[in-house]
Amino acid sequence: MKLNRREFIKANAVAVAASAAGIALPASASNLITSSDMTKLKWDKAPCRFCGTGCSVNVATMDNKVVATHGDIKSPVNKGLNCIKGYFLSKIMYGKDRLKTPLLRMKDGKFDKNGDFTPITWDQAFDVMAEKAKATLKEKGPEGVGMFGSGQWTVQEGYAAVKLMKAGFRSNNIDPNARHCMASAVGGFMRTFGIDEPMGCYDDLEAADAFVLWGSNMAEMHPILWTRITDRRLSAPHVKVAVLSTFEHRSFELADNGMIFTPQTDLAILNFIAHYIIKTDRVNKDFVNKHTNFRLGNADIGYGLRPEHPLEKNAINSSAKDAGGSKPIDFEEYAKFVSTYTAEYTSELSGVPVDKLNALAELYADPKTKVTSLWTMGFNQHTRGVWANNLVYNIHLLTGKISTPGNSPFSLTGQPSACGTAREVGTFSHRLPADMVVNNPKHRAIAEKIWKLPEGTIPPKPGYHAVLQNRKLKDGELNFYWVQCNNNMQAAANINEEGLPGYRNPKNFIVVSDPYPTVTAQAADLILPTAMWVEKEGVYGNAERRTQSWYQQVTPPEGAFSDMWQVVEFSKRFKMEDVWTEELLAKKPEYRGKSLFNVLYENGNVNAFPLSEIPDDRLNQESRDFGFYIQKGLFEEYAEFGRGHAHDLAPYDRYHKERGLRWPVVDGKETKWRFKEGSDPYVKPGSDYDFYGKPDGKAVIFALPYEPAAEFPDAEYDLWLSTGRVLEHWHTGSMTQRVPELYKAVPDAVVYMNPDDAKKRGLRRGDLVKLISRRGEVETRVETRGRNKPPRGLVFMPFFDASRLVNKITLDATDPLSKETDFKKCAIKIEKA
Amino acid sequence: MKNLVLRIWHTLRKPSVHFSLGFLVIGGFIAGIIFWGGFNTALELSNTEEFCISCHEMENNPYEELKTTIHFTNRSGVRATCPDCHVPHKWTDKIARKMQASKEVWGKIFGTINTPEKFEAKRRHLAENEWTRLKANDSLECRNCHNFDYMDFTAQSTRAEEQHSTSLASGEKTCIDCHKGIAHELPDMTGVEGW
Amino acid sequence: MKKSINALTKVLVTVTMFTTSFTAFSEGNEVATLRDSTAIETQKTPDAIPNVANTDIKQKRNYPMQPPLIPHKVRNYQVDLKVNKCMSCHSRNRTDESQAPMVSVTHYMDRDGNFLAEVSPRRYFCSQCHVPQRDAEPLVENTFVDMNTLMKEKQASKAEKH
Repeated sequence: MKLNRREFIKANAVAVAASAAGIALPASASNLITSSDMTKLKWDKAPCRFCGTGCSVNVATMDNKVVATHGDIKSPVNKGLNCIKGYFLSKIMYGKDRLKTPLLRMKDGKFDKNGDFTPITWDQAFDVMAEKAKATLKEKGPEGVGMFGSGQWTVQEGYAAVKLMKAGFRSNNIDPNARHCMASAVGGFMRTFGIDEPMGCYDDLEAADAFVLWGSNMAEMHPILWTRITDRRLSAPHVKVAVLSTFEHRSFELADNGMIFTPQTDLAILNFIAHYIIKTDRVNKDFVNKHTNFRLGNADIGYGLRPEHPLEKNAINSSAKDAGGSKPIDFEEYAKFVSTYTAEYTSELSGVPVDKLNALAELYADPKTKVTSLWTMGFNQHTRGVWANNLVYNIHLLTGKISTPGNSPFSLTGQPSACGTAREVGTFSHRLPADMVVNNPKHRAIAEKIWKLPEGTIPPKPGYHAVLQNRKLKDGELNFYWVQCNNNMQAAANINEEGLPGYRNPKNFIVVSDPYPTVTAQAADLILPTAMWVEKEGVYGNAERRTQSWYQQVTPPEGAFSDMWQVVEFSKRFKMEDVWTEELLAKKPEYRGKSLFNVLYENGNVNAFPLSEIPDDRLNQESRDFGFYIQKGLFEEYAEFGRGHAHDLAPYDRYHKERGLRWPVVDGKETKWRFKEGSDPYVKPGSDYDFYGKPDGKAVIFALPYEPAAEFPDAEYDLWLSTGRVLEHWHTGSMTQRVPELYKAVPDAVVYMNPDDAKKRGLRRGDLVKLISRRGEVETRVETRGRNKPPRGLVFMPFFDASRLVNKITLDATDPLSKETDFKKCAIKIEKA
Repeated sequence: MKNLVLRIWHTLRKPSVHFSLGFLVIGGFIAGIIFWGGFNTALELSNTEEFCISCHEMENNPYEELKTTIHFTNRSGVRATCPDCHVPHKWTDKIARKMQASKEVWGKIFGTINTPEKFEAKRRHLAENEWTRLKANDSLECRNCHNFDYMDFTAQSTRAEEQHSTSLASGEKTCIDCHKGIAHELPDMTGVEGW
Repeated sequence: MKKSINALTKVLVTVTMFTTSFTAFSEGNEVATLRDSTAIETQKTPDAIPNVANTDIKQKRNYPMQPPLIPHKVRNYQVDLKVNKCMSCHSRNRTDESQAPMVSVTHYMDRDGNFLAEVSPRRYFCSQCHVPQRDAEPLVENTFVDMNTLMKEKQASKAEKH
């Protein structure tokens, strides 16, 4: 109802007259609706859909639609705040191009790799998928099928998928996009502490005297944690903030000590700090003697490229050999090792002035300063990412600044459930839930027992990791491939040489599940329309070990189903005889004739909770479809893995009542600081600190050198290219680019350039340019001002823009230990287009 | 020493023995022109951006900051160089400013602001000098280009029009009152009026 | 001339790419809406950098809790350890002179909900929630429905029943 001015005046006049006459008018006679049955909003909680911070939001629904969202004041994470993305969550599900029906490439009524996308039914979709999967299993065995998942999957989705792949298809070829994001952090934790995820928590942010950002632009990528650091820095003037990056960005606005370093030389700076601590005699000897060991790691480990690449052939300890090897050394040997990294040498290498380096090192060395180090993709997306993680732990261990409030080496997570789903559930090609790995027979046995499977079901060999999956697709060895909850054709490096030829290889059948038609969907053979966020029930785990759940709050568009529903429903298409060998079936004859659904999800665990546990007024499409409370069943079976093993989760129902809990949750209480007596129930009494992830309870200080990047600028390709994100968009922009306000805030990905670099090439702001690498080219516009200020010799371009695919030119070099791609360093040139 | 001064004074007082009066007058005039011209040329030379940024203190700090601002790059390409804003155009003011600037030479020699940190430490002080000068001369250097009489308010944003047609028009405010930090980063603004 | 040769080469390269590459797409297969019907191997010429809207006209919020968008340019607005440019107009003390909207009262609350005498430092960096808009046409329409519209619809259907 729209009133023009004249009608408005008229209506008012009538109302005045009516009230004077004592006549009651219907509510619509006022310009304000006040009746409570109309204005009442249904509020419920959910974690934010975006980053790893894990803010809690309040979601308002009306008539089965999300109408508002705001920061949850009850959440200890964000206390009522959201960032610009979070404030627009209400609109992410309502892009007009939501997918509502499966689309298959077809010609003449049947599947054709070169056919046109044609709407089909879910039945038809599962039919063709099952046919392709079965054919591949028959021809290539379990190694021919694979799945690429996500740190944005719910815990239940990831868990259901792991079961389908590792137990059902008996293939370890499942990896999450968290491989591009957190794998180096995982590698660092496992190598130094023997157990994954941070010892500290966000409470450190209110307790620290100094913050050091290592390759993390928290102002844009973890905005709400940045509000907490800003709050601390500005309200307590003694607090200092140091920011290190290869280019100046928004986090420098709060920096007392901002440092721009030459790419890759962070390794040298980290060793310099260790040297400084030793040289100035500030090693916490008591802590070091009681709680640490020293080891010399193998060096010259290659760059995770294809084995025939010269850089791999020439590496002494390439991944094919012993990249992760190390041998014990003593403190003196370690001290001698880092003594190479003097302030002068490090300054020359990194370009950071000596006095700035000393000021930085002093923050760590001063025993009175409580330091929190924070890092994200600058460390993790690094061909020496695990090393960088190891090296920052060295500094905290040498000074004993760990596991107490404010003393915290804190690995930030990129995705909302990179910790919860990718890491804790173990959706990596080498992992199982609760930090277990497939190549450990004891771990496999534990998983097989909980899953009620015969011994030997889970294959012992790690499967293909993310980058290897693209290579195997291209080589035609991985033929049935299912991508869920990510947009890897836009996000993975070197699309031109690996990703796209892989997806379009005629030998392969590619399925992509997504709410929207993404770049990856465009490269697929079958697209499945998917329910998202509060259109389903789920659990996420954030960067501080906080597990949070939410209920389904609206129904998805007709025809769209959650990733979990898709996986579980698909399992009904397989008889055990289709997927398991006769030998394996013989060990569990009662499984003969059953379906994968029966064995994996109707196993007495997953279907243990009846529908009656779901309140009648709650939506829960999936559970009602399957006939049991499946989200709870999956969660409870999964939680079995960690309970009693330092990964304890609370009972499922409790998460619906809390704003999340930080594991291990023991005797109903969450754990804030791990490895420290008094705050972590798993620490042996009397030990003070106990790094119980390692058999001897001691953390490892690693001697690891600086080694150059895989590719660096030369005479022809004369610029470093770094890629990354922006505040206003989430990753590849598939959700946020569809919110008009966010789109109009940052519509396109431009290349940020130093004005002098632009001038030298005859370029100016707004010029159309080609960014050219050895792998391809991409066109965009030049930006010489704004939020990012690169030094001469380096340019930055974000990857959120589907129409300007910067990953056409990036290099798929990875850390040989973590297999995580270095998206921050390759060599390019820029020409006017 | 005293004797030497006296001897020179004597020589100067004595009438010329070798040169005609005409020569002396004309010669003196020409020499004067050369000297004056040279002085002014040198002065003008020191009024160029090249001269300003020949000191790395200026090149690495204020000039670097200027590069991304509207006074450096904008739609019409009319850009402000350092002296446009920092050196008065009127000769007497210019000389006064230059005499002030002799202090800056000492700054250069003693390295008062030769690192970004030292520059940062002096930023408020340096900015205040400029604000005071511009406040005192009614933002003369701004007005050399931005002439109030020729402003087209209809081409301005609503907010700008609002402020310019009232406070600026009445003389209650001058440019620098609102437009601080438009060409360089602002210093710590604690206690600055209007902030 | 040189330009046309270049263009010709481009066309030839594209044609070769299409014929020799793994698959030739037909127009209907370019489903990625945000790529505007462009094959992944190719690229649409990037649009110019759009200008920032500087109209000072407030936009209606999608819901009351939405942070308002900035209706003006913020080029070179300095917000750092030294100064907060935005607050020189939007702080409580400045609004009489600036006539700009005062920051919301929520901004004076600390983490625990206590009101402070000045804007809370946790809200110091304005651009984390408030952004200007550029003159760019959204690539995809958004079908979000305002709660007001839903209420009006309900009201109308109720009136009809009566």
